[in-house]
Amino acid sequence: MKKTLLTTIFAALALLSGMANAKTIEMKVYGLVCGFCAQGIEKTLRKNPATADVVVSLEHQLVAIATREGQDIPDAELRKALTDSGYDVKGIARTERTLDVIRTEISQEKKK
Amino acid sequence: MNLARSLLAGTCLAGAMPMVHAKPIAFSHGTTVMAEYGAGTMTEAQVFYAPKYFYSLGGGYLELESDIDGKRREITYARANYLVKRWNMEAAQANVFTWGGVGQAYVSETNGHEFAWNAGAQADYETRRYYASIKTDLQVADTFTHRIDTLQLGIAPYKHDFDSLATWFVVQGRNYTGDVHEGIEWALLLRLFKKGAWVEAGVTDDGKLQAMAMVNF
Repeated sequence: MKKTLLTTIFAALALLSGMANAKTIEMKVYGLVCGFCAQGIEKTLRKNPATADVVVSLEHQLVAIATREGQDIPDAELRKALTDSGYDVKGIARTERTLDVIRTEISQEKKK
Repeated sequence: MNLARSLLAGTCLAGAMPMVHAKPIAFSHGTTVMAEYGAGTMTEAQVFYAPKYFYSLGGGYLELESDIDGKRREITYARANYLVKRWNMEAAQANVFTWGGVGQAYVSETNGHEFAWNAGAQADYETRRYYASIKTDLQVADTFTHRIDTLQLGIAPYKHDFDSLATWFVVQGRNYTGDVHEGIEWALLLRLFKKGAWVEAGVTDDGKLQAMAMVNF
């Protein structure tokens, strides 16, 4: 019983630690005007093994990626992925905002 | 009959591969499948695969039927599309495409087949509210030369986003050379797309159906 409890606590700590190491990469992307044409962005980025989730916002010219715990995607790789999708990256930033927060903010703006 | 054949061709293409603004190149490693019914004078189905974002390879079937004298061409072709230039702006995108290909054409006057080639170009500009494109497509064989010039102007009643439904109202003007249609054929279209699926339909100034469906994956 005690062993099970300890295992559970360690698993929870490991999960929290992993979440702390997870990163959000936010990219300012030019040319994002058509959702149909921008499908390649999501498709290409989700192929990357370091990608956990992707958000694309035409309104904000934003492509945001949540990376898997302890992983990152080099800027050169990000730029290549966006270029291969037909777009230009104007800026890349690592932020603390989760994709859920970004989704919520985008959703709230739409309601205004 | 012609519409049924075109739809069948489109369905077969879609079935062969799990199913762009009408662009001949989707994205790197992306596939575009398109079928268009153009008021009875033109029906076309295409499938293209893009190894890189700036070019794609594939083929298509184009049928032209004159509403002047009833002559018909059925052209099957292989084609390469090339993105000559793209301008990615903060809230707009503009493109220049060109293409060329070869194939075989059935000609109703001779009841025979001929070697055919094609070439064309497209320039477009779009924001999330406005869209404009001009396209020219040349089809040549021993018996015929046809050029199909298409102008489209679109306006969106609202700005769509990546995951939401896009709605566009489009005015299309199309001119055929080689006695396929007399004068410019105008059409009003309703265009809808979401994610990788696109449909549009409308009516020409002759009261005929103009429709197109396209998928990117």
